[in-house]
Amino acid sequence: MTENKGKEIVSKLIPLSKAKKVKDIPQLTHALFPGTHCPLMGAAMAVGGIQGSLLVVVGTDECTYYTKSMTIHSENFGGLNGRCVSVVLNDHDVTFGSTEKMHETFKEIMEEYKPECVFLVTTCVIEIIGDDYDAIAEELSKEYHIPVAAVHTEHFKCEDHFPGLERTLTACAAMMTPQEKDGSINVLGQRMGDFATTELAALLKEANQKIGMQLPSGCTVDEVRRAAAAKVNIVVHDIALPLAQEMEANFGIPYVYFNRFADPEKIYANYQSLFQYLEVPVPAAVEEKYAACKALIAEKQSKLEGITYIYGNTPYDCFEINNFMTSLGMVPQVIQTNRLPEHDKENIQGILAKADPLLCKSANIAPLQYVYDELHPHLYLGHEFGARLRKKGIAVVHSDMAMNMLGFETTSYLLGQIEKAIDECFAYRKELGL
Amino acid sequence: MSLCRFLPVPSDRMGIVWSLLSIKDSVVLEYGPAGTTHFSMGLYGTLGVEWRQSLFTTHMSEDDVIMGDVTRLEEAIVEIDESQHPKVIFVVTSSIAAVIGTDIKGVCNYMQSEVKAKLIAVDRGGFRGDYSKGILDINTLLVKKLAKPLAVKDEKSFNILGASMGRFRMQSDIWEIKNMMEEGFGFHLNTSLCADTSVEELQNLAAAKINIVLSYEALEAAQLMEKKYGIPYVYKVPYGYQATMEFLEAVAAALDVEVNAALMGRLQEKNAELAMYKMMGRKKTHLAAFLKGDYDTIMGIAAFVASTGIKISHKICTHSLKPIPDCPEDVEYYADEKDYLNCLAEMHKALILGDDITLEEAAADNMKVRISAPFVNGAQVAKHLPLMGEKGADYLLEAIDAYFWHL
Repeated sequence: MTENKGKEIVSKLIPLSKAKKVKDIPQLTHALFPGTHCPLMGAAMAVGGIQGSLLVVVGTDECTYYTKSMTIHSENFGGLNGRCVSVVLNDHDVTFGSTEKMHETFKEIMEEYKPECVFLVTTCVIEIIGDDYDAIAEELSKEYHIPVAAVHTEHFKCEDHFPGLERTLTACAAMMTPQEKDGSINVLGQRMGDFATTELAALLKEANQKIGMQLPSGCTVDEVRRAAAAKVNIVVHDIALPLAQEMEANFGIPYVYFNRFADPEKIYANYQSLFQYLEVPVPAAVEEKYAACKALIAEKQSKLEGITYIYGNTPYDCFEINNFMTSLGMVPQVIQTNRLPEHDKENIQGILAKADPLLCKSANIAPLQYVYDELHPHLYLGHEFGARLRKKGIAVVHSDMAMNMLGFETTSYLLGQIEKAIDECFAYRKELGL
Repeated sequence: MSLCRFLPVPSDRMGIVWSLLSIKDSVVLEYGPAGTTHFSMGLYGTLGVEWRQSLFTTHMSEDDVIMGDVTRLEEAIVEIDESQHPKVIFVVTSSIAAVIGTDIKGVCNYMQSEVKAKLIAVDRGGFRGDYSKGILDINTLLVKKLAKPLAVKDEKSFNILGASMGRFRMQSDIWEIKNMMEEGFGFHLNTSLCADTSVEELQNLAAAKINIVLSYEALEAAQLMEKKYGIPYVYKVPYGYQATMEFLEAVAAALDVEVNAALMGRLQEKNAELAMYKMMGRKKTHLAAFLKGDYDTIMGIAAFVASTGIKISHKICTHSLKPIPDCPEDVEYYADEKDYLNCLAEMHKALILGDDITLEEAAADNMKVRISAPFVNGAQVAKHLPLMGEKGADYLLEAIDAYFWHL
């Protein structure tokens, strides 16, 4: 029964080579557990990092309840009396619209909270009833002379929480005004972890470079307004690409896409571009770290050859890390992803040159149990119940700490975690007599 | 629609889902966006409800919303039936599905022949009332859909009806009711509607000799069971010594038996000591209490607090009063959060009994005791620290005593 179920599920998945758009990627099953996060949560995460701003969730009591709950213990939001409030829809608003009441409520918000800027985050039901919150935000902005941005977070139009982060960040572009350049570097898209702890931050500090706005990992409304003073933007996650592109178009600020990459060649190239934009010599440490990283790969590669894995979710860029691991001889069996970005074509081609893994949507770990029994991978990269996988002879590669890393450290950390998991996998299999 | 600074009142849908997740051997399948389901897990975890392998979502795409396509719901029902083998699948609608008018009942009707599990449609999208109304309706629905007539009664058993996992100290209160029913009458618990139960236990609801109703939210269910299965019920929620004695006497009358004399003697003794507080109170110029919580909690605890000579300034209900039969006029409910906060702001040197938000917002010169949800400042761990019954009254009296000293 279990074996048949595994075969049945696997037979529904499609190989990477056949996927042309995100809609081609199937769910493992129609019944999902736990399911993806909501874009509303993503928007809340982003607003949390902008001190002086107020998050106003416009939605059902359920959406607003969960969002407020999430922020109550957040230092960023300021706790129970902090920067998250809501405007709760009732059945009357669903029938007759919420525009008029929103204006009345906003007056109360301004009197009580005196925010420097407001993000009006709308949820699914608002989008269905069709209230025009872009227009409402514009009217309120004019009336109260502060930036008011509408951020749409209907989950039925997107896959997970990332669009909520992306739209909030992109909305910040409208708040920025032309500035005299101060030579600083903005860090865009650090949604978790601390940029200050990264190798990249340390090298910039050594080179006496000034860090400007860090959005959304910690900045003020005023810093957002003055963000155009920067010389260059570093984009550390896809969620900030549209903002970086808009800043480039509006203010001529170039950007370097310096995601949490695994491939040292890519990291090396990023360092080169970054220091070129900064018009300072590339620090000698970059060359040293690059050489050390390549030596480490040469040392570990034989151990990685032929190791099979299922990719779930990591802080790394999905197709880039899979391309890197495939290039080292590892064998991806299934990649879980909710997106097929245009800029990943090169990585996808790289993977396809060596393997053609199956694709499915992420955040549905319940039916994965059947898939493990069918494919018997050595490793699982992402969040799973380790004890459950151990019984199947599979080890989990934990990589969450990479959230605090950027640069060559991400490669060496990843290799270390993979090596550790491989050892665990073979120990588990020995325990099981496999 | 108004400004909500803190947590809004949970919706009917939320109350329904946390009730259903307490039923083992069943699965809750939500027809709506995955994010809502994922987001909700934090709340259910806080309430002590187990959701792993019990809560699933279908997610919904724009196509589903525009075209009204329910294929993914149909497929999900079949998948859960095959993979989880639940006895019941509760198919719960989301706010989106409610707004676009998805016919969940219709889907369950025609899908029933395709699956082994019993399908129960719950078409509440969060717009028909608050959590309390949701709990009321689901209690009634569960009795209608699951309880079976039984040939053999368990003559020494009782059910608890109206045990919502959303209530603070609910599991402890169940523990205390079990203790009192055991000591008072030698009775054991058949099952609780709806906390820590199972499909089988709910099917056997009619086996009990008597129903103990702990909330108005289960009154309709109790009346239905009395009518269908001839099971009497007692609706006297035991907060404080006097109410606990009245509760035990009411149970004894319904069962036509005597209460254990030692238990009654102990309660009478403790109750008599309350006179001392009334005397002490006469010397105090300012004795006031402010309560906020579920209807039955504030009614019961307010009566106990008043019996010690403390004036009750406010009894604020956390949910709408509309569904409550014969609700007294002095119970307040404010749809607008600001109105309740204004009442709270007037309280000084008072005994504040409420949820964590009320306690945080009350002025520092008040004495504060948590009696209701939401609880946001620390988890609820113990299952032996009740607010009801003898031990609950002991605990509340300690708080009252401390308040007298605090003044």
